[in-house]
This record gives sequence, C-alpha cells and structure tokens, in this order.
Amino acid sequence: MDYKVEEKSAPGRDKVEVLGATFEEGRPEVGGEAGKWRQKLGTREEKLKYLQTGERYWYSKEWFGSEKRKNPA
Amino acid sequence: MAEEKETKSIDQVTVEMIEKAAQDGVRVVFSRAETTKPCPIGAEGSCCSICAMGPCRVPLPKGKEETPEEKKKRTGVCGATAETIAARNFLRKIAAGAAAHGDHGRRVVEAFLLAARGEAPEFQIKDEQKLLQLALDLGIDIGDRSNNEIAVDIGETLIKEFGKQEGELLFLKRAPLKRQEIWRQQGVAPRGIDREVVEAMHRTHMGVDQDYQNLLKQGARAALADGWGGSMIATELQDILFGTPAPVYSQINLGVLKPDEVNLIIHGHEPQLAEMLAVVAQDAELVAYAKSKGAKGINLAGMCCTANEILMRHGVPIAGNFLQQELAIVTGAVEAMVVDVQCIMQGLVDVASCFHTKIITTDHRAKMEGATHMEFDDRHATESARAIIRAAIDNFPNRSQNVRIPDNRTGLIAGFSHETINYLLGGVFRASYRPLNDNIINGRIRGVAGVVGCNNVRVTHDNAHVIMVKELIKNDVLVLQTGCAAMACAKAGLLVPEAAAQYAGEGLASVCEAVGIPPVLHLGACIDNSRILIAATAMVKDGGLGDDLSDLPAAGAAPEWMSEKAISIGQYFVSSGVFTVFGVNWPTLGSKKVTDFLFKDMEDLYGGMWAFEPDPIKAAKLMIEQIDKKRKALGIDKARERVLYDMEMRRELEAA
Ligand code: SF4
Repeated sequence: MDYKVEEKSAPGRDKVEVLGATFEEGRPEVGGEAGKWRQKLGTREEKLKYLQTGERYWYSKEWFGSEKRKNPA
Repeated sequence: MAEEKETKSIDQVTVEMIEKAAQDGVRVVFSRAETTKPCPIGAEGSCCSICAMGPCRVPLPKGKEETPEEKKKRTGVCGATAETIAARNFLRKIAAGAAAHGDHGRRVVEAFLLAARGEAPEFQIKDEQKLLQLALDLGIDIGDRSNNEIAVDIGETLIKEFGKQEGELLFLKRAPLKRQEIWRQQGVAPRGIDREVVEAMHRTHMGVDQDYQNLLKQGARAALADGWGGSMIATELQDILFGTPAPVYSQINLGVLKPDEVNLIIHGHEPQLAEMLAVVAQDAELVAYAKSKGAKGINLAGMCCTANEILMRHGVPIAGNFLQQELAIVTGAVEAMVVDVQCIMQGLVDVASCFHTKIITTDHRAKMEGATHMEFDDRHATESARAIIRAAIDNFPNRSQNVRIPDNRTGLIAGFSHETINYLLGGVFRASYRPLNDNIINGRIRGVAGVVGCNNVRVTHDNAHVIMVKELIKNDVLVLQTGCAAMACAKAGLLVPEAAAQYAGEGLASVCEAVGIPPVLHLGACIDNSRILIAATAMVKDGGLGDDLSDLPAAGAAPEWMSEKAISIGQYFVSSGVFTVFGVNWPTLGSKKVTDFLFKDMEDLYGGMWAFEPDPIKAAKLMIEQIDKKRKALGIDKARERVLYDMEMRRELEAA
C-alpha cells in the first residue's frame, strides 16, 4: 500500500513529517468484492498461519486465555 | 397459551397480501388458523397417543389447585403420569428436531464426499482455509496433500459421526473445557448423532422410560448431538463447499419479485440446489431463453433458511420468512417455487392451484401430492438446476393479469459468520474477540443475546421478534440472529449499521459505529445456530468472562417458535449453559414438575435453563436480568455504573 506522509508543526520544532492515515477514506462500496476478506489469504501457509493467530483459541498453544491449564480436560 | 392476537402481521407487505388472498378467494395459513384452533390439551403436552389404548388426555385442571387425589388419578390408561407424558412428548420433539438437522448434515457430508472424490464435478472446495481448520480439528494430516485428499478424509471421518456407537462426538472438543467436563459429569456427552435420536425414540415408546428426569436427560444428549453434531457438521462443510460467509448487502420482502422477469423462489433448507440455481440463473443461454418467452430476465429469490444460505454467500435477495411462503404465490408473479426439505407448508399446492405457479419438489424425502417432482442430483447438479429453471421459464407465458407485487423491500447486511466477526474485530493480523470482551467488561455492551427461530401464525407475525430485539439493543445488548427471526428484524430495518444510532443504547451504538457493524448481526440459517455456539466459545476462550459458556452475560430466545427443530435448538443452548426463553406457548405446562425441572433444576445441572414468556418486552427483561446476574457473578456489574473522573474531580477527591 502507498503510505501518505503529512507535514505537521511540532512544539519547539519546525515542521515534522508524520505518517498519515493508513485506511482508505470514505465508505466501502456495496456489492462486488466488498466484504470478501478471506480472499486476502493466498497460500496454504498463510492460511495455516492465520488459523494459528486468528483462531488461536483452538489452534495455537502460544496464548493465554481463560483455559490455560496444565492438564487438559 | 398466548392470548389471541389482534393483528395478523406488523409487516405491511404481509397484510396487503393477506387482503389480496381474501379478495382472490385463496385460503392461506392466516385464514386457516381462524377456523382451525390449536388443541389446548396437546399444546400443554398432556395428550399421549403412543399406543392404541389411547390417545389418553390428562390436562391440568384449569382455574383451581389440583388436590393430591386428583393428581393421582390424572394418568393415562397404562398409568402413565402427566410427568411421563409431558416429558415423552418433549423428548420426541427434540428427537424430531435433532433428526431434521442431523439428516441435513448427513446430506451435506454425502455431497461433500462426492465433490472431494470428483464425482460431483460442479461442487468444489471453495474455502481452503475452512478445510484446513477442520483438518486441524479432526487430526487429519495436511502436509502437501491436495485439498481433495484432505476433504475425503474429513468427509469419511464426519460421516461416521452419524452411526458412531461409542465415545463422544468429535466437535464436543471445540467447546470450553469446563463445559465438556459438565457434559461428562451429567452423562450427556452424545455418542453418535443417530444413536441419540434412536434411543430417544425407543425410550419414548410405550412402557420404556417412565422417569421424567431420565427422559429429559436423554433430551439434553440428543439435542447436543444436534447443536455440536448434525448442525455443526452441516455448517462447517457448507462453508468449505460454498464459502464461509462474509458481509454482504441485499434486500428483503416480497418487493424483491420483479414484474417483468421470471420469478423463481427457492424454499427449504439444504443449500446444494440453491447454490447451483444461483450460479445457473446467470447463464446467458438461459437468460436468452427467458427473453424468448417474453421475460426480461431470471429473478431468483429465497424463502426461509435456504434464503439465508444463498443470501449469506451470494447476496441473493429474500422474498420473505416462513409465514410469507404462500403470500409470495398470491402476488401472482411467481413462475415456480422450488422446495427441498423442512418448513414447507402443504397448503402451497392448494394456493398455487389458484395461480399459474408451479410447485417443484426436488428431494425424494419430501414429495407433495399435486406438485411436480424434479429430483435434484448432486452428481449432475448443473443439469438438474437448468431443467428446473427451464420449467420456470416455460411457465412465464401462463402468468395472468392478476399480479400485484408490493412495492416494498428493505436493505440488510448479512454474512456474519464467527470467522468474519473475529476478523472484523481484530483484522487479518490479529483477529480477535478481545474488543468484544473488553467492551462487555467495560459495560459499553451489556451482554449478547441470540434471538432465533420461526414465525408462528398464533401470534402476530414478526411482532415479538422486532419488539424483543429493539428492547435488547436499546439496553446495549448485542443481538445475534439466524433463521426467520433475522428476516423479521431485517424487514424492520434493524440489520443495517444505521440502526445502531437509531435504536441501540449509547454504549452499543458507539461500539457498532467504531467497528462499522449493525447492532443486530445475521449469522445465517437455523442450522447456523452452531455459529453462535462457536462465537460464544471464542468469547469464553479469549478470557475475562469466566471459563464456561454459562458464565457469559448471554441469553437466548425464540419468541415466535413453531417447529420441533426450535425445541431441539433451545435444548442444546440450555444444555450448553445458556438461559433461553420461548414465546407463543410452552409444551410441558400440563406437568408442573416437568416444567419446574426445565425452568429451574436444569440450571443446577447445566448452568442454563428454559423460560416461557409470551410478552416480548417481559421476555427481553428476563434476558437482561439474566445478563445482569452473570455480570454480577463476574464482578463486572459495577463497570456499567462507573463514573469517569476528570482531573478536577480527582483533586477534589484527594482534598476531601
Ligand atoms: S401409552 Fe399409556 S398414556 Fe399413552 S396412549 Fe397408551 S395408554 Fe394412554
């Protein structure tokens, strides 16, 4: 994605460059590809990785939730 | 029994079409309900007809306390008590509901296996990620194997869940660990889907299980085999075959029918045929064929849960919910209504005979006298779908002048699967339920409610759904919906992000606005209530809201229920630890003991219990009370009353 850099005045300094908004402005268009987020994950590795992070509740051992137990039920 | 309703529907489109039906002299469910009243003894579960010495009727005396002597005499010929009779009837409803969802699941696995083996070439693995997810769940090797190889293993593993005799259903492992322990302690972890249904039928045969608590225990087991078995299998494999739903915009109500196109309505529950029709309806050759018959195109619309399936995945508009099925035909603009299984009124054939509409049955398990049968074959899905669409097109020239399509349709956003909610709350890099849990803990969101289920002609159509849901969101309760309940609220304009500012409490509205979601989320068909189980489990596992589903500030409801599937769904929610309130009527009122067991004792055993309240505002209040009770137990009840101190107030405090 293209990053937008904005110039802002900072106290005690001249203008500084800061990173602008990283989201697309406006409302998403209805229909077409809108909302189709699963297509963002391309390869099998990406999908498995996503399962380990996004669905970590079931597929990752590396997190701390309500069920961190020594002996599984 | 709920009081006789005054108006037939809160939906003006429905009212308009009921009037048209009356003008045309067509009998529909609303008129039939005026002449056929419900049997009060059957309604309270006090009629037993399981042997030829009966039927025996053992109603609870009305308007007076029953003496112990009277109670003793209140038995069937065989001596069966009102308790046994009510519990048996209740268990049979669960068995039928679990069987319906289970058989749906089985058909999906069969289609899935055909697709995986390349024997149904039109069906393919659409969602590899969900395939991998199931492979992880079921311990199936992934490696470098092809999707189809993995899918064959998944299908073969899951088909065995139906006939399994021992052990536990595999998806039980997805539940919170504490919940699994509770099921094991109570002895209700289901072994196999079919086994629990068959055992329920055996135990309710004449002269078998005559202990109401033991009967209801099997009710829990059979219902869990639905929610964490048949329904969950159906949802998951449908996602793999047809795609996991993501947000999609569409429209609802009879106004989605088009005056100048061939209108084809798909009604029922299983999505294979509907998916194929959705694809084939865009076929240029068929569109040209429609034009050759004088139509401008082919317009596909859904009805009931099939509608939800293709809405969630394709944005196909919905013509209406359960009580609107006959009214769609009354418009005079429907060339064909294609049906498969479940919730299909036999009255459709009679109504269709007054118009040009063709009723097309497609499943060997569900034929109708007077309908045209065109069997849908998974192996030749496109061919079957094309033949059905051609039949609809051929019928277009038969449309008469008696057409009235109400000019009314409402926008909605659907497609909120568990996966999508998780993604929307956290993004691709850290999908998470954390923001939801945090907002529940800080009190912006008071709790979560599942409002699901049917329509019922004995109460005003859509009314209880809409009133209840508005009351819940006004009180900052995020609502998750499926089935005809979701359609009712969609028609009322509650399933769009703008509804948050208009109807939701300040806290819920602020969260909805930040995430960009409606205050009422549409999770799919009734089978997809399994998505609610998984979403609730994710909330538990994320932490901060206890370690079991029964700890969550959550409640469930089916304010306009009518089908046995709804009872099965309610029972699996209660047995999973969720307070669940039903409206309309309650099928065990003939036995105080059975009703008390369901409404009180189940909470001690499972952490969840049933309730009955036909008034939707009072029912919503019961749900909110329950949510507040859970908040208190979690120690987060104070968060809602918190005061934000600014610096000046802090200084004042320190000085004091
Ligand atoms: S089983 Fe008993 S209560 Fe039921 S119909 Fe037969 S005799 Fe009557």
